[in-house]
Amino acid sequence: MISFMNRRSFLAGGAVFAASPLLPPFVSAALAERKQAVVRVDVDIANLDPGNRIGTVDGNVILSVCQTLARFDAGKLTWSNDAAKEIKQISETEYTFELNPGQMFTDGYGEMTAEDVKFSFDRFINSDAKGKKLAYAEDLGALDKVEVTGKYTGRLLLKHPSPALWLIGLCDASGAILSRKATEALGDKIATQIIGSGPYRLAEWRPKEQFVLEINPDYKGAAKAHFPRILAKFIAEPKTALLSFQGKELDFTAVDPSSAGEARKVEQAKVIEIEGIDYTWISLNVEKGALADPRVRQAIRLGIDIDMIIAGAYGAAVSRAKTLLAPGLIGAWPEAPLYNRDLEKAKALLAEAGQTGLSVSFTCLNEAVPMATAQIVQANLAEIGVTVTINAMDSGAYWAMGSDDKSKDLELTLIQYLSKFDPSFQTQWFLSAQVGLWNWQRWKSADFDRLHAEGLATTDTVKRAQIYIDMQKLLDESASCVWITHGRNFFIHADWLKPCLLPNAMNWQYEYFGEA
Amino acid sequence: MTARWFRILRDRNGRLGLLFMGLVLLLALSGLILGADPNRIDIPQRLAAPSFAHWLGTDNLGRDLTARISAGTRSALTLALLIVAASAFLGAVIGTAAGLFGRWLDWVVTAIFDTLSAFPALILAFSLVALYGTGRQTFVILAILIFMPQFGRLARSRAQALRHQSFVEAERLLGVHPLVIVLRHILPNIAGPLIVLAGMNIPVVITFEAGLSFLGLGVQPPASSLGTLIKDGFIYMSESWWPTIGAAGTLAFATLGSTLLAETFRDILDPKSATDAEGRA
Repeated sequence: MISFMNRRSFLAGGAVFAASPLLPPFVSAALAERKQAVVRVDVDIANLDPGNRIGTVDGNVILSVCQTLARFDAGKLTWSNDAAKEIKQISETEYTFELNPGQMFTDGYGEMTAEDVKFSFDRFINSDAKGKKLAYAEDLGALDKVEVTGKYTGRLLLKHPSPALWLIGLCDASGAILSRKATEALGDKIATQIIGSGPYRLAEWRPKEQFVLEINPDYKGAAKAHFPRILAKFIAEPKTALLSFQGKELDFTAVDPSSAGEARKVEQAKVIEIEGIDYTWISLNVEKGALADPRVRQAIRLGIDIDMIIAGAYGAAVSRAKTLLAPGLIGAWPEAPLYNRDLEKAKALLAEAGQTGLSVSFTCLNEAVPMATAQIVQANLAEIGVTVTINAMDSGAYWAMGSDDKSKDLELTLIQYLSKFDPSFQTQWFLSAQVGLWNWQRWKSADFDRLHAEGLATTDTVKRAQIYIDMQKLLDESASCVWITHGRNFFIHADWLKPCLLPNAMNWQYEYFGEA
Repeated sequence: MTARWFRILRDRNGRLGLLFMGLVLLLALSGLILGADPNRIDIPQRLAAPSFAHWLGTDNLGRDLTARISAGTRSALTLALLIVAASAFLGAVIGTAAGLFGRWLDWVVTAIFDTLSAFPALILAFSLVALYGTGRQTFVILAILIFMPQFGRLARSRAQALRHQSFVEAERLLGVHPLVIVLRHILPNIAGPLIVLAGMNIPVVITFEAGLSFLGLGVQPPASSLGTLIKDGFIYMSESWWPTIGAAGTLAFATLGSTLLAETFRDILDPKSATDAEGRA
């Protein structure tokens, strides 16, 4: 008889069993079935109202918690029906839709009906409960009205043909279908407590620490989530995030371009590299003091050494931008002028403007790359006699300047905005109506506004491209923006994880995160 | 008297303190002697290891670390001396007045000192920065507000004890002006403890300045501070550890050196406390 258990093996087995709680968490996690993915967000949740969201962290939560009529396919810019059972295009300005029956909002707010769709989109068409226009109203700007034709059916009527409506509006966070009952009951709390019917529900949010998405068992759509939980930890500083990843505290994080080389050396991990379409620039407030003089703005543009910023702050991991729209997008402007540093010309412009001993503030995020950029700009401008005071802010205070006209006292500001694949998404932040919100240059141009409206209604691609080039020419003439880079996005993830991002790299589709 | 000061050299802690502070002072002056610009950006040299051209290497913008640490050390020492001197002076004047004249003045001064002491330093820092912005001026005002009550309380209690001494009473009865009494009898009697307290506070102010600068609330760029150097160094630690080592090492030497020196001074000026300490040990 062969004994499978002797005294020695019993003792050894017992010792392993007894020691198992002492194993490092990552070893335990590796042995267990993957119940969650831990991701890092660089900005905390700020506003979960789809029309007033602050950034993509909010947008990504909204899209995983709420349904849209159609949802982007995994990692692609094509879409499939989500809340809608059927969508039909009747003409260039009319769509009909039919919802799937039995789609329940969480927390007992009942079934989704066409009334909820109308309510959600009417907020963009009209205003919120206080009569204030939503920050993202332009996303659905082409929508004239929504008509309810039955419990689950309705019509979307457009003011004009809109090539961008689905891409930047209805499939994105602005197209999130809210529960009318929940939104009216929650009031202002909608900013922090979103009720949806999507693949996940927001189970927990500890400000400045973490939030948890838990799978919604009642979700009826096709985008069923793989992980029961997504734990998102808030770590503002990308270098710190990389250290946390190396410490096995994270499974997925964005990495600073300057740290990409270091990230590639991390074992049991993979690095994703995606060419950026976003835009980082130095905004010059055209209403503030000496900056109101275009010659001063031109002088500052010529005084800053962008190549030095690319090399010093970004470790030469990104390429230089010349204008708003990244290469490859509709309206990209390859012939945009490249402003190389010219100290003599900059000094001459300042002298012509009668400016001596000029002092300006430079506002930026209190992070490694922005701080390095700020110090380079400070050193550069000192050479033309401009004193720069750096005002570094944490992300909460910084992005809060996008409301209530808080940006009016800014002078020079380092900004990074994220992009979508339709140029109208990028140009909307430079409209006159965005002054006091996200147009921190406070530059207003009736021509720019008119062209933006034309671009939204033009379906001819060649004509559209020319419209957006003309808009960028106006921006260039204003000298209110000093373009730095479109960025290059680097991510690191555990080799067992398969993250899912749209090609702009900023829309993370938590519902499609899976195991490799 | 001179013999008492030579006790620093006889004391092991005193010798170590002098050595550390000597090194720190040498580093603080080296930037001036070498003439390197602490703010000169040289991107091709970013995060370079120590070399003949850059003795302690360079930071993330290619700036010479010897020059930056030297500037940061000068800034820390200057600020510490300025703040401690101002706090001691103001505390001595206000505390002595409260201790001598008593009544409502004593009540008001004690209430102010209690209120200031009850405020957590960081909360006070955040409040002041929110009101007046970051920078050296804000830091100096903040630090004086934090450190002055200690000197004030000490001066007040000593003055209260001295005002009833017979020699003070005698002078008062003879009609000597209160200011003369203060200068002739009170100040000489409280100067010793105040100097000891000032010495003990110097390393605390140095660490406080570094801590606030680390949090972005202290000295602002392009000015160099040991706190910002440590913070920036920490961010780029995986690429080069020289910035962190250089700045953190200097901070450690400065605080340790000034603490050891202050303790030795205390033992010299107030031998009883040293005897007590030895007795307890």
